[in-house]
Amino acid sequence: MRVDPSYVTNLVGSLDDAQANQQQLTAELSSGVSITSLSQNPVASGENVLLLNQIQQDDSFTQSSNLVTGQLQVADSTLGSVVSQLTQAISLATQANNGTQNASDVKSISSQISGILDEVQSLANTSYQGQYIFSGGQTSTTPFTTSNGTSPAVTAYNGDSDINYLVTPNGQKIQLNVPGSKIFLGAGANSVFGALNALVADYASGTVDTAQAVSDTTALSTAMGYVSQQRVTIDNSISQVTAAGDAVTSAQTQLTSAQTNLMQADVGQVSTELSLSETQQTALEDVIAQLESQSNDLFSKLQ
Amino acid sequence: MGTINAALSITTQALDADQAALNVVANNVANANTPGYTTETPNFQENQPLEIGGVSYGDGVTETGATSVRDRVLTERLNQQQQLASSTGAQLTALNTVQALFTPDSGSSSAQAGDISSDLTGFFSSFSSLEANPANNSLREEVLSSASTLASDVSNAAASLNSQRSALDQEAGGVTSQVNSLTSAIAQLDQQIQSTSPDADAGTLEDQRQQDLSQLSQLIGVNQITTENNGISVTTTAGQLLVSEGQSFQLTTGSVDGVTHFFVGGADITAALASGGGQLGGYLTARDRDIPSVLGSLDQLAQSVSTQVNALNNVGTDLVGDDGNAGDIFSEPAQLAGSAAAMSVVMTDPNHIAAAGAGLGTGDNSNATAMAGLAAQTIVNGETPTNFYANFVSQLGAMVSNVQTENTAANASVTQLQTQSNALSSVNLNDEASAMSTFERSYQAASQVFTMLNTVMASVLNLGEQATVS
Repeated sequence: MRVDPSYVTNLVGSLDDAQANQQQLTAELSSGVSITSLSQNPVASGENVLLLNQIQQDDSFTQSSNLVTGQLQVADSTLGSVVSQLTQAISLATQANNGTQNASDVKSISSQISGILDEVQSLANTSYQGQYIFSGGQTSTTPFTTSNGTSPAVTAYNGDSDINYLVTPNGQKIQLNVPGSKIFLGAGANSVFGALNALVADYASGTVDTAQAVSDTTALSTAMGYVSQQRVTIDNSISQVTAAGDAVTSAQTQLTSAQTNLMQADVGQVSTELSLSETQQTALEDVIAQLESQSNDLFSKLQ
Repeated sequence: MGTINAALSITTQALDADQAALNVVANNVANANTPGYTTETPNFQENQPLEIGGVSYGDGVTETGATSVRDRVLTERLNQQQQLASSTGAQLTALNTVQALFTPDSGSSSAQAGDISSDLTGFFSSFSSLEANPANNSLREEVLSSASTLASDVSNAAASLNSQRSALDQEAGGVTSQVNSLTSAIAQLDQQIQSTSPDADAGTLEDQRQQDLSQLSQLIGVNQITTENNGISVTTTAGQLLVSEGQSFQLTTGSVDGVTHFFVGGADITAALASGGGQLGGYLTARDRDIPSVLGSLDQLAQSVSTQVNALNNVGTDLVGDDGNAGDIFSEPAQLAGSAAAMSVVMTDPNHIAAAGAGLGTGDNSNATAMAGLAAQTIVNGETPTNFYANFVSQLGAMVSNVQTENTAANASVTQLQTQSNALSSVNLNDEASAMSTFERSYQAASQVFTMLNTVMASVLNLGEQATVS
């Protein structure tokens, strides 16, 4: 049988392949990444896009949740202050209603409650990073203003009933705000400002219409209970954001490890492959050298 | 009855024949490394025997020239595989450049520059962040800056693809002149072969013709048909004549819709050449099919994202109170083709991002939520933007990997056929050494016979007397 006399050329081709293989393995070792081009593993490349997308989304949610937690905490502590102010107003009103106070005391209580009213109004107009937090969607409009033209005075709401939500990466919607109208101007007996304005008017003259005053005081405590209820909504949101943040962080850990498994070079395996490839190269070089050095040509044997 | 003279004549012929055979061996050894050379074997032919008185006497040998050892079927098979290997090779080179634009992100904390997938997520996430505080200026700036990053990475990728496409176009055009000079050479050789050697292998001329055909096979896909008088016709794989009856038909180029098209006679054979094979086939496949398909996917992504985001921005309320007319964020694509290359951000004032819903206060975030929600909606060809991109990446990878596999297989097949062909047709120096020894010995033997005949002749001339003739 005749053979291809230029078999050394084929060996050199194998030598080139071995060197290309080593180059690839060395690149994997130095970069730590096992997939350096799409065609090496098309499926893993697509999977990688999806995993990185989720990790990035989780990252972004973690930042957003820090932002909203700040705002929600400000809202919560503001409502806490409102409740303590209202508690004080109720105790002043109860004092005025028990019939032991003289006219000037009652007048003084009226002005104290009026002070509380101002304080509550300024709390209701609290802003966070330049945006009013109790004005619904109208965050650049002062939510509450009081006009003193009538008696009792009227506190008006200038915001709207818009509610913002934060959507978590797995689609959960977390309420970010409670419109001021819902907290401070609840319908009927639930209106904080209505009750406070009424009490200020009740005690302004120094003489007390006890039946009216008691009814207004009761209205104030109902309204305060209502504020506390709205505060629970805010508290719930805070714990939801925290829980969602924790869930996202743990998901992110898992995703990162999945992504690492997918893309990272297995150093042990790559090193073994590299050493195998080097052995092959040495063997090929030896064979070529041997074939080249030997004068294994029949011509050299002819005399 | 044979005479001594006849024997001497036979010996002389044998010496001539052996010299001629040694000549063939020397020629083989001399051309051992000549590309395209086919090893030759000397032909010995027994002379017509003499009939004398009803008895047949051998009349020696004649060397009738050398025959090239070739298998035309094998050579043609090798050429066909070579066409496939060159085609996939050229296509693979082009695709490797394409896939380098979409290197997988290693996932290190800092996203790789130019990574469209992280740009997409970054862009939609910037709306998620804006949900947290829709009036915040820095969050709004972040939306615009991530939009610019996305738009510039998409348009850069499209621009690179377009320039790769025109580079391929130029390379493809450059092949034409090589093809034409080869087909003219083949036509000329054909004429010579038909006139000098109409009914036998034309030896060196045939070697040259085969060498030209093999070079032509690297460039374009061809078929060859043997015609009368040892001529050949060469056609493209689709059947367009390139060489016939010693005449070649030139391949010409012309620009059609901004790309080079190829013609023979008046016929546009570009599409046939693309699927035909050879380097040109590979270039044209990458230029007309692969790169346009990648560009098409990018166009779809760019168009869908731009129009959907613009549409939503134009139904919401921005920070300065524009309700339903906040304007476009991306330049609105006029048509699908070219959307990726033209993708850019036209909004300059972040206050025009409509984070609030229609008719709502500027502190509302429902429209920002809706825009962030686009990331999870099937807005690009029935898929979410990220899924679309992930599929695109997988498909591109699979396409490159397929071509790689085809190329490896074609190259292996070429190597195998080349080995077979070399085994048959290339000069094996050991064989030549052995043949040389054989002919040398044969020459020596003939010389000895001649010497002996000479002695016999001397004896005859002297008629038994010593030393008159030695």
